[in-house]
Amino acid sequence: MAKKKLFWTKRIARTLITAIGVSLVAFLILHLTPGDPARIILGPYATEAAYDRIRERYRLDEPIPVQYIYWISGVVRGDLGTSIRYNRPVAELIRDRIGPTMILMGSALIVSISLGVFLGILAAIKRNTPLDYFATFQAVFWLSIPPFWLGILFLYIFGLQLRWVPIGGMVGFTSLIFPALTIGLRDEAWFARPMRAEMLEVLNQDYIKAAKAKGLKYSHVVVKHALRNALIPMITMIALRLPWVIGGSVVVEVVFSWGGLGSLLVNSVLARDYPVVQAILLLLAILVVLANLGADLLYSVIDPRIRLEG
Amino acid sequence: MSKILTIKDLKLSFDTEEGTVEALDGVDLEVEEGHFHGLIGETGCGKTITGMTIIGLLDSNARIDRGEVNFRGRNLLKLTEKQFQRDIRGKEVAMVFQDPASSLDPVFNIRDQMIEAVRLSRKDSWESYEKTVKELLKQVNLPDIDTLLDKYPHQLSGGMRQRVMIAMMLGRDPSMLIADEPTTALDVSVQAQFLKVLVDLKKTTNLTVLYITHNLAVLTEICEEVSVMYAGRVVETASIRDVFHKPSHPYTYKLVHSILKADSLLDVLEEIPGAVPRLINPPSGCRFHPRCDEAVSECSKTIPPLKEIGTNHSVACLRR
Repeated sequence: MAKKKLFWTKRIARTLITAIGVSLVAFLILHLTPGDPARIILGPYATEAAYDRIRERYRLDEPIPVQYIYWISGVVRGDLGTSIRYNRPVAELIRDRIGPTMILMGSALIVSISLGVFLGILAAIKRNTPLDYFATFQAVFWLSIPPFWLGILFLYIFGLQLRWVPIGGMVGFTSLIFPALTIGLRDEAWFARPMRAEMLEVLNQDYIKAAKAKGLKYSHVVVKHALRNALIPMITMIALRLPWVIGGSVVVEVVFSWGGLGSLLVNSVLARDYPVVQAILLLLAILVVLANLGADLLYSVIDPRIRLEG
Repeated sequence: MSKILTIKDLKLSFDTEEGTVEALDGVDLEVEEGHFHGLIGETGCGKTITGMTIIGLLDSNARIDRGEVNFRGRNLLKLTEKQFQRDIRGKEVAMVFQDPASSLDPVFNIRDQMIEAVRLSRKDSWESYEKTVKELLKQVNLPDIDTLLDKYPHQLSGGMRQRVMIAMMLGRDPSMLIADEPTTALDVSVQAQFLKVLVDLKKTTNLTVLYITHNLAVLTEICEEVSVMYAGRVVETASIRDVFHKPSHPYTYKLVHSILKADSLLDVLEEIPGAVPRLINPPSGCRFHPRCDEAVSECSKTIPPLKEIGTNHSVACLRR
């Protein structure tokens, strides 16, 4: 028990250290990029006095380490600063935008995990049949198409030509379908191959033969014994894939005019709106770190060999 | 005396990238109901494949060329996968595998895996299933059954896992159990404990066991009859007594004497010159003739049939 406690203490400490590192990177990456936010906000004809006012207000004159200390101490207190572009608290902007992003990423994950796992199982139990080849083909197909182009293609066919869905924006469920598919299909392709390989490996194990020898139906053997065992390594696969889901959603939000964090992020980068970009980068990075922690926790739930150790 | 299992002229091959492997080449085997029947031979001689054929768990690249596997008068080779699953596996024929470390599902506890088997045969309450499971585990001499039920396979020793396997496979009260080298992966001291479980079962039930092994000494403890396999054929079947006292086939003779004479395990390994032939291009005629002292030119041309030379004693050799 003590050993297990120590493991989790270490694991959580590591998560915190990662979070601090991530905040540093999120901060530096922006400040080391050329471009002066004050100039961008004010435009080319601003007076020097106005320029100095803006620089002072957002503490842009301070040395970078001092700026970081100001920022991070604010973050710890829950103050993410004020947007230079919108002149509103960053926390407020994020609060308005986080919902749509979570809905989009959640839908994309549901699409990718359910389809990926399903096609992986199907390809494994029907291996070397046309069905298996089809699963490979579609995976390579989705992986070969850049998401922004696929998004535009969907919009053109289903929005512009067939008029089944709105052309961008967030108007009800129909406008969610294609953004979610654009991200989800690509990740589905990413999950289906390893799922097939895991299933094939598990189906060759003695405990599968033993389960059949008991007289269980093949479908029962596959769904209960093989799937549960094959899913264990998939948890890591899925957690490791999350950054791509986030990255994909940033691009796709812009293509589909989805009013989430992704489009806010892109616009803020273009405007050198430091506080907003820093906050969103930090938030997404923490999301990834937490997902990895979650994967470790989930592991111990699904795999008794980990659960009971120590 | 009735035969529960009769295998006639079973020929089976595997299509591989290297060519067709003639794994079984006319296997004849009869197993008496309620008896423990040993099936012995070197690695790769087709013992396990014979067992897998009976329970219908052959790999998909296996091809049955001819023959019959009659189980209680029903030719198992004619069954569909569905019929096998519904009528035979677990219910009539069960199987215990060589490696207890890998034959239990690592992510379910013992209770789950045992009840899963028990409830296939009858619809009842969970309390009743659990009661049956406890009785089964007691039958195989497992201690601390109440705590055992909540344990996962990795928390048990190899010997315990193998006994759980037996108990699980007996859960549906099958008529026949195929034990495929169940003690090979166990320590010698644990082997004895495991064999005692089988001996107890023999006394208290009418279970038929096909005991597959490469260790003749194990068979003397538990079996009535022994069939000796060599390179995909049964070369001799006899009572355990006759195998030791009147081994007839030259291969059986060497097998028995390798054990009786041996001072150490090393001697056993050196006893029979040559190795089991590769079955992609097996020797013609009697497959043992290249390693046989008594071989004559006829042996490389004619496949010797299994013929009776005494009561319950048959041998496949042209020189007998």
